[in-house]
Amino acid sequence: MILEFERPIRELEERIAELHRLAGPSAGLQAEISRLEGALDTAKRRIYANLSPYQRVQVARHPDRPNFRAYRDVLSDDFYELSGDRFFGDDPAVRGGLARLKRGGHNVVLLGHDKGGDTRSRVKGNFGMAHPEGYRKVKRLYELAGRFGLPIVVLVDTPGAFAGRGGEERGQAWAISADLMALARAPVPVISIIIGEGGSGGALAMCVADYVGMLENSYLSVIAPEACASIIFRDPGRAAEAAEALKLTARDLKQHGIVDEVLPEPLGGAHKEPETAIREVGDALDRVISGLSEADPGALIEARHERYRRIGTHAAGDTG
Amino acid sequence: MDDAGFTKCERCGQPIYEKDLLTRFNVCPHCEFHFPLPAPERIRLLTDSGSFEERDRGMTAGDPLGFEGYEERLSRARMNTGLSDAVVSGVGKIGGRPVALAVMDFRFIGGSMGSVVGERVARTIELASAEGLPLVAVSASGGARMYEGVYSLMQLAKTSVALTRYIEGSLPYVSVLTDPTFGGVTASFATAADVIIAEPGARIGFAGARVIEQTTRERLPEGFQTAEFQRDHGMVDRIVHRLALKGDLERLLGFVA
Ligand SMILES: [Zn+2]
Repeated sequence: MILEFERPIRELEERIAELHRLAGPSAGLQAEISRLEGALDTAKRRIYANLSPYQRVQVARHPDRPNFRAYRDVLSDDFYELSGDRFFGDDPAVRGGLARLKRGGHNVVLLGHDKGGDTRSRVKGNFGMAHPEGYRKVKRLYELAGRFGLPIVVLVDTPGAFAGRGGEERGQAWAISADLMALARAPVPVISIIIGEGGSGGALAMCVADYVGMLENSYLSVIAPEACASIIFRDPGRAAEAAEALKLTARDLKQHGIVDEVLPEPLGGAHKEPETAIREVGDALDRVISGLSEADPGALIEARHERYRRIGTHAAGDTG
Repeated sequence: MDDAGFTKCERCGQPIYEKDLLTRFNVCPHCEFHFPLPAPERIRLLTDSGSFEERDRGMTAGDPLGFEGYEERLSRARMNTGLSDAVVSGVGKIGGRPVALAVMDFRFIGGSMGSVVGERVARTIELASAEGLPLVAVSASGGARMYEGVYSLMQLAKTSVALTRYIEGSLPYVSVLTDPTFGGVTASFATAADVIIAEPGARIGFAGARVIEQTTRERLPEGFQTAEFQRDHGMVDRIVHRLALKGDLERLLGFVA
């Protein structure tokens, strides 16, 4: 899939490939090829270094972007999956289990939204939009992590919690609220990295954490920019403006003190070089888990409480 | 509201004396439809006369993202409601028993949860802890306040961390859900209560019915997301008529406070 703003890059790439084909083994077109390669390099830097917020949202949604499965497979040498909410079913939109991370050998509970890798798994995983049973499975695993003193590691990648009849019948809001409460009191380190989409409550249920990292082109937002444009600007065509206004990019959120770190992506986005992005996340996880491994459970909960209790902007009122 | 002291019920279509509506706290005398109730009226309904003391009244919203149109929307809401934001909080007595109380007002930007709502609710929870009071929250909200972007989202986390402290103690938290309560408010403090009461017919859920119909093209059953639907699905403890709510809370607090 080619994103709109990637078109000039793709065109240069195609022309270079064509010249190579025409030139065959001869060096006749080498000068022209070199010139185009220079132009390609410049275009890449110019375009990718200045992505607008809405372009980043598109990169975050790119179907080739490495997903939970890719991270899980590369970063852990044993993933012991655990399923089900013990009540209704198993929601494949979120997965979790016990995992041993290759970097540092840490035993953790690893969770994440699973957007799937091909059409079939994408549909099966409902594009990473979980139902209440998914959020209840997640809560079960948060509590299991607490019981066994294992850090909770979450890879967030969801357009949002699913909005549908079944979800409402089974208490979507209740399930998310319970996750927020469970994370708030988890007596183990909670480490969340947003690897793609961070859509509203469905993402927050998995990132009330001691450390929140964001890949450079991921986003976290209270609402999808398209929906925001429809509601606030009454014009879904103004999604790019809404994305700008919502301050949903990793850099904006770091600046506002909402997240701890922006993890760099390869030029053009994680889908251009998945292994580089995955390695970046793996390194961050090792560093953060090591840093929190000696933390006292009470102190962790206290610090997490302070962190989220503080966020907000209001002019102080009388307290009396 | 029409002129001449008459209005028409939007549910049954019958004419109602506005005076009747006022004395019945916005419940239709013909069909018992519960219209939204402004927070000051709700406080008058629930608390013993003269017992309510508002807290954090002077707290006002910032515009953290400099979002187009937000300041204007805020000043219009302030002017139209006389409130400073979408929740009024403080201490009052219910049947002689002091409680910490937070009451939302749907008229103020759809009862949306921004930083002031989150902060006032969190402070009310902490006030209840500090003074050993039961906590009562009355919700009416369309969800997040988009103008505050991620700050609005973070109020879900804020109220949740505050609540985890409160529920470590043995004081009760009662949540009253009124029409409509959706989104961020239901996905955080409004559903994390010991006892959840809803008003008859109130629409309560995560996503609104229109959004669901648009995204899934599912046909939704009659009464979808009403208080009765939520009770039947195990999400709400009781449905209580507005005019019986004070007495119902007094009974409940008699057991657990
Ligand atoms: Zn009526």
